Amino acid sequence: MSTKTRGIDFSKLSLKDALDLAILVEEEAEERYVELAHQMEIHRTEEAAAFFRFMAINEKKHGSELSERRKKLFGDAPREVRRTMIFDIEAPDYDEARAQMSPHEALTVAMSSEKKAYEFFVAALPHLSDPEVRSLFEELRQEEIHHQELVAKELAKVPATKDALGDAFEDEPLAL
Amino acid sequence: MRGDLTFGMAGSGGDGIVSAGEALISAAAAEGYHAIMTKSFGSQIRGGESSCRVRVSTQPIGTSNGPLDVAVVLSWDDFLKFGAELQIEGTTVVIYEAKSGVAPDKLPLVGVTPADVARVPIGELSKKAAGSDKAKNTVVLGLIAGWFDVARTTLLKGMQKKLAKKGPEVVAAAERAFAAGLEYALANPLKREMKIAPSKDGPGTKMLTDGNDMCAAAAIFAGCRFYGGYPITPSTEIMQYLTREIWKYGGAVLQAEDEIAGIGAAVGASFAGKKSMTATSGPGMSLKTEIVGLATIAELPLVIVNVQRGGPATGLPTKSEQADLFQACFATHGDSVRPVLAPTSVADTFPITVEAFNIAEQYQTPVVVLSDQEIGQRKETVNPIDTSKFTIVDRLRPTPADLEAYTRFRITESGVSPIAHPGDERGNYLAAGIEHNEQGAPTASGGVHARMNDKRFKKLEPLKKRLDLFEVLGDPSASVLLLGWGSTAGACREALDWAQKDGLSVKLVIPKLLFPIAEEVYRDLFRGVAAGLVVESSHQGQLYRLLRMYIDLPTGVRSLCRSGANPFAPREIERKLRSAVIGLQRGHGESLQSQE
Amino acid sequence: MGAELPVVFDPKDYKSDLKPIWCPGCGDFGVLQAMYRALASVGRPPHEIAFVSGIGCSSRIPGYTTAYGFNSVHGRALPIAQGIKIANPDLLVLVAGGDGDGFSIGGGHLPHAIRRNLDLTYIVMDNQIYGLTKGQLSPTSPLHLKTVTSPHGAMEAPVNPLLYVLAYGAPFVAQGTPADMAGLAQIIEDAIRYPGFAFVNVQSPCVTFGQDDWQVKQHRAAMKTLESLGHNSTDLLSAMDKARSYGSELYTGILYKNPNPAPTYDAMVRERQQALTTGSPSPARILDGFLQK
Repeated sequence: MSTKTRGIDFSKLSLKDALDLAILVEEEAEERYVELAHQMEIHRTEEAAAFFRFMAINEKKHGSELSERRKKLFGDAPREVRRTMIFDIEAPDYDEARAQMSPHEALTVAMSSEKKAYEFFVAALPHLSDPEVRSLFEELRQEEIHHQELVAKELAKVPATKDALGDAFEDEPLAL
Repeated sequence: MRGDLTFGMAGSGGDGIVSAGEALISAAAAEGYHAIMTKSFGSQIRGGESSCRVRVSTQPIGTSNGPLDVAVVLSWDDFLKFGAELQIEGTTVVIYEAKSGVAPDKLPLVGVTPADVARVPIGELSKKAAGSDKAKNTVVLGLIAGWFDVARTTLLKGMQKKLAKKGPEVVAAAERAFAAGLEYALANPLKREMKIAPSKDGPGTKMLTDGNDMCAAAAIFAGCRFYGGYPITPSTEIMQYLTREIWKYGGAVLQAEDEIAGIGAAVGASFAGKKSMTATSGPGMSLKTEIVGLATIAELPLVIVNVQRGGPATGLPTKSEQADLFQACFATHGDSVRPVLAPTSVADTFPITVEAFNIAEQYQTPVVVLSDQEIGQRKETVNPIDTSKFTIVDRLRPTPADLEAYTRFRITESGVSPIAHPGDERGNYLAAGIEHNEQGAPTASGGVHARMNDKRFKKLEPLKKRLDLFEVLGDPSASVLLLGWGSTAGACREALDWAQKDGLSVKLVIPKLLFPIAEEVYRDLFRGVAAGLVVESSHQGQLYRLLRMYIDLPTGVRSLCRSGANPFAPREIERKLRSAVIGLQRGHGESLQSQE
Repeated sequence: MGAELPVVFDPKDYKSDLKPIWCPGCGDFGVLQAMYRALASVGRPPHEIAFVSGIGCSSRIPGYTTAYGFNSVHGRALPIAQGIKIANPDLLVLVAGGDGDGFSIGGGHLPHAIRRNLDLTYIVMDNQIYGLTKGQLSPTSPLHLKTVTSPHGAMEAPVNPLLYVLAYGAPFVAQGTPADMAGLAQIIEDAIRYPGFAFVNVQSPCVTFGQDDWQVKQHRAAMKTLESLGHNSTDLLSAMDKARSYGSELYTGILYKNPNPAPTYDAMVRERQQALTTGSPSPARILDGFLQK
């Protein structure tokens, strides 16, 4: 827990804060996927780039759904939870990315992110006191399971092994 | 009555002969004479041989070089170590310490008989008057006052003031020593009377300082508010002056851990919006070079002063040379040029330094001020400078409209683009040593690189039309040309006077802007010239070679050059110029590479 | 008009439009992200920040922020940053670079930056290799490491930057890793807030030329927070004791924080200017002192 958030007291988390937190988690993930897509584009890793863009769109969609809910319940009430308080909850870790990564590897990155998010909500649940917040977290946890299933289905479609030739023909990296 | 006297004095460090010289020039300046003083020391930090030359004149002067009118010898051993720096000729009056045991007709001089020789018991006079031979320098001043009438009352006043803090006993002893010298001189007149005429300008009309202090003062006047540097002879006085004074004007000085850090900090301060400067000498300039290029590509204003000494490597740390011109123009890698300006005297150091800041700010570029040890460390009288006549240029800053979509390196017609400073809202940009596009983003594009090189060169183009950065003296239509720069220009100015007196019509050209080469200006100046000399203190004759790189010089224009620490005397230049003319008339130019 | 609400900054406010050219998987991405977080927490607007670097992969970092950046020349970030801070002490001045930049070509500047104690934050992204030039030995490369310039194994022992920075007298010394971004962001924030020279060594692995068995993944398993070890960060000797394990242990957090910050150089510059500017002399009269009467 401690390495994922900073300055959030889960025992005092209100529903508004919990929704805001969930929105920021999606926002963080969306941005990260966009960044990874850029990385892949710069390094000519087109398939992974396309997949990361697809994931970014998904995260954005989840974020907007949550935002609408938040707006309905709390309108424009100021946000107490900030981006500086969360760290890579659903956003894939930077070190998972590689130049020339295969679609299977890209999907694996997404899978581990979904698992990370799932684990985050699981770990948070015992600390929550507000029943409404608890049920929101349970719902979010379930969603992550659902996402994992979707990613697993995609993973099954692509071969796990790398191209047989690997990077044997790749140019040496450029000295700058 | 004489209009001009050059004194050369030498002794051991303990004799205080340089202090005597300082007192002499201060007094001469206070009375309104024109004067120049240079000092020269052995390599010991203390106690070695030391010497000075002081020239006092009723007319403006450009150098103190040349044979001595008066030689003051406290010890022949020490005096002779300075060789050509203290040249005794047939016109010289020699005053020497009797204790040295040399008979007046047995002076250790080869082939020269001085005009007059005074063997004076200087040490004895000092002992009698002051109870110690430590006041020999003051006896010497008394002798000078008596025989040459230079600033007699002012000399004593100056000494009283200087010694006041050492107590009334010391002052009284000095007064007695001075009187002893004066009385000795009056009682033993010289063969020929050599008193100097009263000054034309009168008391209180002269400033007195050296090139380094003048440079530092000019920097503050021009708006310099940051200095980063490292001690190096012969430029350190610039840092010393600034670190004493700059705080009063809201500025700061950083004595850095090395030359590179000194210029690095100056570049940082410029980026942060302060006019900034670093000063050094050749070895330091070699180290700073990479960051000069950084300032060029990041388009940051910066003034770099190089007070030249003999090189390469450690070379001759205390002697003047003009051999860093190539370095000043070309030292960095890549296509980069920077304006190079050279003052020709202490007085000139003021406008040239101000101009360097103005050019740096206007064109957002590093500018090199190429001074030299002679100008940097010599004391010189300077006529009052009307500071209200100077324009101060500040860098072009972005307007609110520019900041709407700020483009730091926007390619403009002039090549100059407005510069934002950290703290300016919406001006945020990346300054970089890596090539960048107009926004400042790094790029490896050949197209962008070419356009940015164009921009950086184009903005300096107007400098090539700056005729005001050239001094043209003598006969503008003469077919004989003399060209000198830096400290050598002073000797050339006087060589012109000699030439004119001898009926030779000469055009003297003194470029203050050495780079970029103002091709059209030079073409006009060389039009109609058949013979001439480019005079420089370097083995190669660097300006001569630089000119040939950019301009077709008339074939009769040659280089007169020799390694540093062998300064040119005006008469010598005039003689060389005359033989160049004669050589040309004979139809064959002779080699003007001078013999040492 | 009511009182103005305090401006709250989001990490995105510090992110520029430039896309990092670093290799995917590079540790520097995490450092950059941690910087965004730290800067948003500190809350200085980007235009009041000057971010200086030298040359190297990591030295590209200023361009990826919205601060005023200065991507200078190899090894000279510290002198340039000091000039900026002295010229305008109101700015928040950050310095970053790699181990080659800071401990090799620019190593001579570090002790002096420390003894001057300007209020700067210096972040080194230490990857134990020269990545930009394709995998040569760096000053922190382990002994015996094989690289293109040490094909038979390195014969030099690595420098220990943590230990010598402490010995030079740095008042704030910390180490982090992108494996713990929250921890790293906190360290950087604390470093920025520290009133004096703050040094942060970040173990930031090179994914392309670095050691395969010392990547962010391994950091996650190996790192020990100093907090969890009960380290007293106000005790210089125990900080030095911990610093000795550089290269064998991955301690993260604040090694040393002088609880009694000394006056900074920039503060002294201000004081001196204020003390000496009384009477405000006119630059136009600067030459008066040379007049000989």
